[in-house]
Amino acid sequence: MSDEVILCYSEETELAADLVRIARQAAPTAGARVHAALLPGAPPGGAEQLGRAGAHAVHTVAGAAHPDPHVVAEQLRAVVASLNPTLIFLASTKRGREVAGRLAGSLDLPAATGVTGVRIETDGVRVDREALSGNAVATERIVRRPAIVAILPGTSAPNPVPAGAVEARSLAAPEVAPLTERTEVRPKPGGQLEIEKAERIVTIGRGLKKKEDLGLIEALARSLGAEVGCTRPLAAEAGWLTDDHWIGLTGHRVHPKLYVAVGVSGAVQHLVGMRSAQLVVAINTDANAPIFAQADYRIVGDLYAVVPALTKALGAG
Amino acid sequence: MVEKRRIGVAVKHGIDVTLTRADRASGLVQLAGAPRRTSDFDKNAVEEAVRIREKHGGTVTAISVGGPAAREALRESVAIGADEAVLVTADGWADWDTRAVARLLAAATRTLGGFDLFLVGEGSTDHFSSLVGPRLAAELGAADIAGARRLTVEPEGVVAEKDLEKEVEVVRARYPVVVSVGQEINTPRLPTFLANLKASKKEPKVLGLAELGLAASDLAPSIVVDRVAVPDIPRKQLTLSGASPAEVAERLRDALRSEGVLP
Repeated sequence: MSDEVILCYSEETELAADLVRIARQAAPTAGARVHAALLPGAPPGGAEQLGRAGAHAVHTVAGAAHPDPHVVAEQLRAVVASLNPTLIFLASTKRGREVAGRLAGSLDLPAATGVTGVRIETDGVRVDREALSGNAVATERIVRRPAIVAILPGTSAPNPVPAGAVEARSLAAPEVAPLTERTEVRPKPGGQLEIEKAERIVTIGRGLKKKEDLGLIEALARSLGAEVGCTRPLAAEAGWLTDDHWIGLTGHRVHPKLYVAVGVSGAVQHLVGMRSAQLVVAINTDANAPIFAQADYRIVGDLYAVVPALTKALGAG
Repeated sequence: MVEKRRIGVAVKHGIDVTLTRADRASGLVQLAGAPRRTSDFDKNAVEEAVRIREKHGGTVTAISVGGPAAREALRESVAIGADEAVLVTADGWADWDTRAVARLLAAATRTLGGFDLFLVGEGSTDHFSSLVGPRLAAELGAADIAGARRLTVEPEGVVAEKDLEKEVEVVRARYPVVVSVGQEINTPRLPTFLANLKASKKEPKVLGLAELGLAASDLAPSIVVDRVAVPDIPRKQLTLSGASPAEVAERLRDALRSEGVLP
């Protein structure tokens, strides 16, 4: 098999740098080449950052930036046309998956999203991805290349491997008429919390009877030096907490040292968000709640009694 | 201006993730013959399409790509309020990947005379690739908006609130447009007994590869599933109890301290 040429792109340079590091590990042979693309609108300093992550070459596309996924896919397609990569690594973010789909559709390429591991093997590229709402991991074989692999943020990226001199290439963005127009961008309410980075999390579920009782949970979180997380109903339905607290399939995926699930039943869509926590504590009145199967320490009891007692015990040192 | 809005909706009859069971020793999940049901977010897509029709007129066509049992997803869509049901099926359907499904939906769209608005779920409950919507849009040369939490239709196109990780974008597109919707956009209605009865009498139109102008080789898998397994994350599963909440709390505090997870 000839050597891999992997093209990495994310609009977030930090994620693109992770993709570069994952690509260097996936294709370690001397002849393999890892390239990265910077599209119009990329913040300055990207080429250096991608070089430090281990990119052999950085392609800078010059032109007008536009958020339309069709425009982004076409700009990326111009890089693909000039490079002929064997693999295209994208970030499996909401926007990343949309660009992956458009690029895959227009070039008729295989594409996999939600990828947590990628291996280049003799009979094809194998990817591990979340399946069955995060209940399971599917191992899938991509039978032809080029192919698009969209990797979940937070997937472990090895230490950078210096590539020596980083080749700089530039090309002009193709003239593409956007198919969508963005008329407004507003930050999500809250939105400042980066719960993915939290070392300790106290997550509250539907066991909480009313919004005013959140104070109990916040007090416990303070005594643990933890952030407050929540399940889908509390964010998306009740609106008691903003979306940046929401842990689960369509919320955030977290990997803290300590995860305390309070009044959380453990629906499969929630479990996928917390599965990689190191140590899990569950407090629930229902001894049969599915969360208990995922817990290291289980307390069957009423959160309204247990949580204040725990806050007090921790505060008492 | 679109006179009579034509709305297409894709509905997947996917694996019921709440009923899959893993082999205890290997952790492997048996997918062949696993129970199936309509994918969650696809019901939101059907509901949204029906609401648009109720408000603005037009027709709603539900399309399911899959095996014979996918008729159930179509029946459910008609019970929610879809006007027409189309089953796209052929031998080998179980091996169709997202590429094949998008190609089939694009071919069905052309065969059926095109849609102004095509709605899909943001991701399927079993696979959640989120690829079918944008792939379909690329195949059709249409605009696409992924992850809509709110959708407004206008004479010439749509305005959507698009949900991203850290922000919400308001995005406008002219017809034809493919929009993927999340669970937050609406609560699908529970069909009445009568609606269910009526829907069970409606036979879907069946489209095979010949009608779609496709050959089996056009749908050859580009990705094959090797295995699906439930990851084995060992948990201690220790139950802490005590005479009072205070006693249980102290036991937990001591355990957390010895685990070294406290600040």
